[in-house]
Amino acid sequence: MSIMEYNGGSVIAMVGKDCVAIASDLRLGNQALGISSNFQKIFPVTDRIYLGLPGLATDVTTLRETFRYRVNMYTIKEEREIEPETFAHLVSSTLYERRFGPYFIEPVMAGLSRSATGGFKPFIAATDLIGCLNFAKDFVVAGTASSKLYGVAEGLWEPNLEAEQLFETISQTMLNAVDRDAYSGWGVVVHVIEKDKVTTRTLKGRMD
Amino acid sequence: MILLLLASNGIVIATEKKSPSILVDDSMLEKVAVVCPNIGIVYSGMGPDFRVLITRARKSAQAYWKMYGEYPPTRVLTQEIANVMQQATQSGGVRPYGVSLLVAGWDITRGPTLYQVDPSGSFWAWKASAIGKNMVNAKTFLEKRYNDDISLEDAIHTALLTLKEGFEGQMTEKTIELGVVTVPTPAEIEEGRTGSATGRPKPTFRKLTEEEVRDYLAL
Amino acid sequence: MAAASVYSSTGFDFSNLTRNNFLSEKGLPLPKATSTGTTIVGCIFEDGIILGADTRATEGPIVADKNCEKIHYITDSIRCCGAGTAADTEFVTNLISSNMEMHTLTHGRKPRVVTAMTMLKQYLFRHQGHVGAALVLGGVDSTGPNLFTIAPHGSTDKLPYVTMGSGSLAAMAVFESHWRANMSRADALQLVKDAISAGIFNDLGSGSNVDACIITTNHTEMLRNVEMPNERVQKERTYVFPKGTTAWKKEDIKKLVLSEEVTPIGGEAMDTD
Repeated sequence: MSIMEYNGGSVIAMVGKDCVAIASDLRLGNQALGISSNFQKIFPVTDRIYLGLPGLATDVTTLRETFRYRVNMYTIKEEREIEPETFAHLVSSTLYERRFGPYFIEPVMAGLSRSATGGFKPFIAATDLIGCLNFAKDFVVAGTASSKLYGVAEGLWEPNLEAEQLFETISQTMLNAVDRDAYSGWGVVVHVIEKDKVTTRTLKGRMD
Repeated sequence: MILLLLASNGIVIATEKKSPSILVDDSMLEKVAVVCPNIGIVYSGMGPDFRVLITRARKSAQAYWKMYGEYPPTRVLTQEIANVMQQATQSGGVRPYGVSLLVAGWDITRGPTLYQVDPSGSFWAWKASAIGKNMVNAKTFLEKRYNDDISLEDAIHTALLTLKEGFEGQMTEKTIELGVVTVPTPAEIEEGRTGSATGRPKPTFRKLTEEEVRDYLAL
Repeated sequence: MAAASVYSSTGFDFSNLTRNNFLSEKGLPLPKATSTGTTIVGCIFEDGIILGADTRATEGPIVADKNCEKIHYITDSIRCCGAGTAADTEFVTNLISSNMEMHTLTHGRKPRVVTAMTMLKQYLFRHQGHVGAALVLGGVDSTGPNLFTIAPHGSTDKLPYVTMGSGSLAAMAVFESHWRANMSRADALQLVKDAISAGIFNDLGSGSNVDACIITTNHTEMLRNVEMPNERVQKERTYVFPKGTTAWKKEDIKKLVLSEEVTPIGGEAMDTD
């Protein structure tokens, strides 16, 4: 039993056509004992960036506040919204600062970045607990169900999924993976980010 | 005298560098400094103070890069330098920095921008300006010549022309320095972001070589 | 400046250490940082250096990234391949790259490969092996081509051909049997590809594609995915779910564009010349 499994929880992010999706389970546990079925692990950073923080629950809260502070300071100082790429580096360097006394969190982020020509480009990234960035072009996963999520996502994901299709794909990936993970589950929340709207849906999942 | 000019597609900064004696090895003199690949600074005032500020500015730019994976926008870096200069006006045991700076750079949010920073720590943006000796005449000259859609090439010539007004001695590649900020194309910006062949975005600020300065003077 | 900045300077923050040690004493072992099995190589050829790397990143037995970049930028004519703890290789090369840029700006000339090597070994030695980076550093400077390996504790080697990472044995076998002095560019590139391929196919920690970087006196060519022997084939069928497959309990749509008004500007068609 590692600290990473103490509270349980998983997050996944996927790229679609001009959209991205990020999903997490809603369980908070104390080892095998379930505590809450509405523990949010995904937080909006800006209108178009969402950040998932699976791992030790106490660090979820701490890091959420740390990033809120740092992003607010950035916005005030630079008089502009942070871009997903920049935010990913901020997450990475914040975690690496504690290389020898880390937070037990493996962040996953999803967002739309503004391209030089004015459009939006899907962006996802994940880091390990000491901030090694992984910019994937398809999907990123983290948490206690990560090994299962890798497998299911590898089979179900395909390029250029439209927002509605992406929602079904990420939802089915998440639901099926957490069903085989004792520490994740108790409901799922999915956010689909498009250029003009963010759709948040709470899924019906197994409650055992 | 130092001056700079904001063009529609870039910025030019021009400065005279006068050596106090013909015996001085003028390859040592440097008035235009690169802070990071997108920002350059020129000064008027005390050379040693400028050197200290430049080192501070470079370190600040590198710290920013390590945190955010990109170089600071011109405004943020200018603010950082201005803060250092302001601190010196109210700290015990130190005197204010004896320099005025002109900061020119390009960033994705504000495009090409240029700022002046004073020893007090106040800073503001210009479209075209001059500092140092003969600045009043130079500014009047620039006011007459400046328009919003001047091209970079034209701006370089206007800058040289302004510099020539009241220039003591011969204007050669040895006695002036030029720096330019260029605006990257959307394609170049995208490439710089995704990691180009060099692994880094293309620099948008650079000092012109002596050969290039000679060519502009010849025109 | 430091006090006014949101970002702090260099140095690590150890404030979580007491808590983390307490947790591990309670019988909750601390998770190991992501370590990457890797094959990285470098070799000198007649007019420069070629560096090579595979593109697999692993978390224990899981392939975390199938196409990551292990050849890191130091300067225009110096690059560094990294093996070991993924975050450490990334941050240590970034740090030295940043130092090298400062070095260039303050001294006004191109820094040498030995300078980067010395900075790296001193940094790694200072951290006594806790920064787990095993590096292959190569580049061309005023003294010619230079190739080094740097181990996590700070020891260095200067050799004409080097390998590092979990696939180093497989790669070295190729180098030992086929390397010759003063190879041509094409021969050297083929040798590097073969050495990395040996790692990809014979070492579990290495996989996916071959990256290479050719550095000569006045040109650096980054060959990203120069060989892709493990491309995923087209899926036999698709698994797109029909709309409405997933049941949801609650939906909340946040509109990012609250109102939009388009004012047509009248008259003639736009000039598109």
